[in-house]
Amino acid sequence: MKVKSLFLGDVRFQFKYGFYFIYLFFSILYIGLLFALPRMWREKAAVIMIFTDPSAMGLYFMGSMVLFEKSERVLNSIAVSPVKPWEYVISKLFSIGLISSVVSLAIGIPAGIVINPFFFIFGVFLCSCLFSAVGLMIACKITTLNQFILATIPAEILINVPALIWLFWYKKSWLLVHPGVCIMTLCSGEGAPLPALLVLFFWAVLFTVLACGTVKKMLRSVGGVKL
Amino acid sequence: MRPLFHCFHIFLRQISRDSMLFAVLTAPVLTACAFRFGIPYAEVLLCAYFDKVSILSGYYLLFDLFLAVMTPYMFCFASSMVMLTELDENMARYMAVTPVGKQGYIMSRLVFPGTIAFIVSVILMHFFSLTMWSAPFMTLTCFLTSLLSIAVSLLLVSFSHNRVEGMALAKLSGMIMLGLPVPFFLFSRTQYLFCILPSFWIAKLCVDGNLLLTIPAVLTSLLWILVLYGRFEKILS
Repeated sequence: MKVKSLFLGDVRFQFKYGFYFIYLFFSILYIGLLFALPRMWREKAAVIMIFTDPSAMGLYFMGSMVLFEKSERVLNSIAVSPVKPWEYVISKLFSIGLISSVVSLAIGIPAGIVINPFFFIFGVFLCSCLFSAVGLMIACKITTLNQFILATIPAEILINVPALIWLFWYKKSWLLVHPGVCIMTLCSGEGAPLPALLVLFFWAVLFTVLACGTVKKMLRSVGGVKL
Repeated sequence: MRPLFHCFHIFLRQISRDSMLFAVLTAPVLTACAFRFGIPYAEVLLCAYFDKVSILSGYYLLFDLFLAVMTPYMFCFASSMVMLTELDENMARYMAVTPVGKQGYIMSRLVFPGTIAFIVSVILMHFFSLTMWSAPFMTLTCFLTSLLSIAVSLLLVSFSHNRVEGMALAKLSGMIMLGLPVPFFLFSRTQYLFCILPSFWIAKLCVDGNLLLTIPAVLTSLLWILVLYGRFEKILS
């Protein structure tokens, strides 16, 4: 019940601050761009667009969301409420995962890359949870937006570069242990989707657990006093 | 001027503490190197692969324009992030009632970084551009891209009420740069649909080489800056 309330609160918050409007705009822009590209480039371009934008939106927005909650003393209220750290984390991850999945579907369907909707939606959702969890872990430890932007660069490189290498040059099956390669596999329909989904699930759960630990530590020390 | 420089010093201290100062100084150099050496190399590879005489070389000027925009954009983006934090924490409003004033606050947060970015941009363009530029034309282009970046920053801070909206707008603000590739790809009158964007006129000035196009480039930038400045002043009040 608490998770549901937190989730609805986060969705309302994201709607109020224009996330839905922005991604509606970007979806239209991306679809337009896809149709401007030659047909043979369209699939790869769509996979890259989905992987680098809607799936990774948690990594981009989490810093501002957490910093805003810190400055508005929302976290202080959460710290003394019955809400558990994992409930806070899940609501954040799922609310962002919802936008990511919807936007990715909106881009993926016209691009013709949604071969198996189950693998596609779950793949994007898990990838979004992974990015959001990493973003949340970073956001808990920073005090300014500039710090957040810089701190996310190594995470982006570590997740994006191997995935792009796999997509264009080096399609070895052992690279499937990398979460970025898993989402590429699930979106492009190349390779084995089930192992990719399982590996991605493992990474998403691992980083969600780590994010829960970081949030727990942060909620214990809000206001400068260790609870 | 003294309070202004002091305010600018606070800004510099803030971004150097975050390592953002280091990032905005090194990132343009790294990108400039990637453009200068990576793009001609990619051109050779692509031409060999597709068996063509040229693929990217026709767009070297576009890459130069992106380089000219990137440095001031990065500097002003760092400023915007600091301003968003200061707005959220009410620091901006406090600064506006000190001897720094509203105009001084904007000068220290946007005009000073924009001026530094302009100088850095000219230096980078001189050493790393892919096409031949005359010194006055390069200076003019860098000046215009600095004005454009100030407009983008003002857009971020004048339309957002907090950091979250600011970050959301930051994603949209990149659209102002959409005018850069237009004269390279749209040759009919349709291109004038983008005439409200200063970036369109900057690119058109460089493509056509007609100095008269400086007038719409400056006017559109100033129009954006004036409108957004008026809005931001209200937020500070």
